[in-house]
Amino acid sequence: MQVNATSTAVEPRPLVFAGLPASSWAFAVRTWLACLLALYASFWLELEAPSSAAITVAILALPTRGQGMEKASFRLLATVIGVAASIAIAGFFSQTDGLLLAVFGVCVGLCAYAAGMLDGNRAYAAALCCITIALIAIQQIDSPQLVFPTGVARGAALAVGVLAVALVNDVLAAPDYHPVLAGRLEALHRRVMNHIEGIFRGEAAAAPTAANLLRDIAAMRPELASLTTESSSGTARTAAARAAMVDLAATLALARALSALPVAPRPVLGLSAQDDSSSGLLAICRTWLRGELIRKNVDVRSSLDALRGGRHPFRQWQAPLYRSRRIAAESGVRAAIHFTLIAMLFVITGWPATELCLSLIAVIIGLSSTAPDPRMFTKVAVVATPIACLLAGILKYFVFNGVSAFQLLAIGLAPVVIGLSLLISLPHRILSSLGRLTLVFTLAVLAPTNPQSYDPQTFVITCLFVCLSSILVFAAQLLIPPLSNDRRLRLLLGETRSELGRLDIQRHHDLAPEEATFRDATRIELIVAAGGGSALNRWALDEAMCCFDEAATLRRCSTELNRLATGPLADVAEAARAALARRNGSAALAAAEALRKTAAQRDLNVDSACAALVLASIAFDPSQSASGSVEKRQP
Amino acid sequence: MTHTYRELIIGGVLVAPIVSYAATAILIFLLLRPLLHFVGFSRLFSNPSLAELSLYVTMFGLLALLF
Repeated sequence: MQVNATSTAVEPRPLVFAGLPASSWAFAVRTWLACLLALYASFWLELEAPSSAAITVAILALPTRGQGMEKASFRLLATVIGVAASIAIAGFFSQTDGLLLAVFGVCVGLCAYAAGMLDGNRAYAAALCCITIALIAIQQIDSPQLVFPTGVARGAALAVGVLAVALVNDVLAAPDYHPVLAGRLEALHRRVMNHIEGIFRGEAAAAPTAANLLRDIAAMRPELASLTTESSSGTARTAAARAAMVDLAATLALARALSALPVAPRPVLGLSAQDDSSSGLLAICRTWLRGELIRKNVDVRSSLDALRGGRHPFRQWQAPLYRSRRIAAESGVRAAIHFTLIAMLFVITGWPATELCLSLIAVIIGLSSTAPDPRMFTKVAVVATPIACLLAGILKYFVFNGVSAFQLLAIGLAPVVIGLSLLISLPHRILSSLGRLTLVFTLAVLAPTNPQSYDPQTFVITCLFVCLSSILVFAAQLLIPPLSNDRRLRLLLGETRSELGRLDIQRHHDLAPEEATFRDATRIELIVAAGGGSALNRWALDEAMCCFDEAATLRRCSTELNRLATGPLADVAEAARAALARRNGSAALAAAEALRKTAAQRDLNVDSACAALVLASIAFDPSQSASGSVEKRQP
Repeated sequence: MTHTYRELIIGGVLVAPIVSYAATAILIFLLLRPLLHFVGFSRLFSNPSLAELSLYVTMFGLLALLF
């Protein structure tokens, strides 16, 4: 199996200006132009919240067109849901004092739960429902009759922002996302093939290496949806990318199975007298695995070609996501408690005009629920808010200082928007997040209107509340910490074990083995993310990968035995199934031998079923491969 | 002759005609996408996204003109 020769080709160096690639500068200029267009259209249409249109542009500022459009569609959908929920809350719970705050707390918790159950922009949409409720219902807590007009004004501003981003990206030919995604999938394919070549050479197949590969493959999942919105060929490209991704995870599972095979038959499991038959089964298994790996490699290449060419793949797969209800529920409860605690503090202090602060608190809690580490996100928000207030103050009172001309607004915004967009385009995750939050909060505090307001009292109060909101969320998270990584890891491992124990060999599964393997890969991604660099991580990874291998093997057996369930080998298949249900390795191996003999008598080919049963016997009794496997054989 | 625009009424809420035209044009465009993929629309233009936007604007304009 050769790695693609083009992998070693030297790529041309990108054009660099002031230390940043030209593509980053183009992205920053596009963001600035879209921001100006959104503000100009909002002023022209005399919208009530023109700053919301500019903030929408800042939120949708993504380097490629497809990503921006996908996020925009989820933003519009979530806004509609959020406005409807706001109207319902204002209608049912208006002027109910503490009950209304409790309802807001429950809403924040539910949205955080939904965000925990989803990924990518779907999780963002769940968080945005909570943000919309915060910005409409909480801000109008004392005037529920204004909830509907505020919702309509926000919807109109969002629509203008989305249209501005779409127009600027289309006219200025923002790059497509599919070449980027295809490049990343090809790089992953090369890494997987290198890993397999290493196994063929007899190198150790370490669990962390495989886990990291699975994490990188599963991490592509949320990004595939961006291709759908990109062009009329987007649906075909998404299907092709999904097929490549799922096949890569399945290839890695096969490679793990190959690495676990003993090099020579061992006199174990009471089969010392049957070394010949055991050796034959191992040879069948090895040949079958090699054939499957070659077939999968061809499938991945074909899917990648379909992705580049904008065609549907030869075979379409689903890419299911592993969802931990327990983790999502615990995160949701903590988010609700954080919000309720701060709301209670405001009720006790009795400060006036705190609805702005409370709504911003819900915004920060909602957004942090979509981040892998909510506390880190809040820390970034604590840093971003004072910077945003400072930038907005400089713009308002030193740069503009009383002017209302749009041309001056455009020129004054240029350095801030372009500079922060360049920060967003950096590959460093925290710096990028800091840039986006600072840009959003700067536009929110500056609040461009027509004519521009220069009331210093309003500005100071806004700055105070913006900074206070991030600090209060940080303090609440110190008091009741978000779900720790160790706790996540334990919950995930517990769920992995219990799911493996419940895996029913008798039942026909809804998902194909490849799809179920991909779902397991998304769980490995969560385990790797939760593990960080802790000592628990290595132990947890080893156990998670063992469960991954065993589950993949069991599903393979289930599929193969189901295929034989109605034919002449039904009785032997049933005996094999019983051995698998008992998780008995020697019985599975004996069943494989019986299956092979019976099939040979009837001139049938059952190599795949035999290979699956041999792999199951090794998975149930790892000691069989412990001293003889390829990975342990090497010095 | 002056063209009259009919407002969409949802639960007593009047929706501006421009919103209903924009939403209808998006719906038609989404239904057309498989056909555009079949005829290789994106391969016909150097900037396919701008061509698709132009198609959307054309449909939006025709809806506003004819209905």
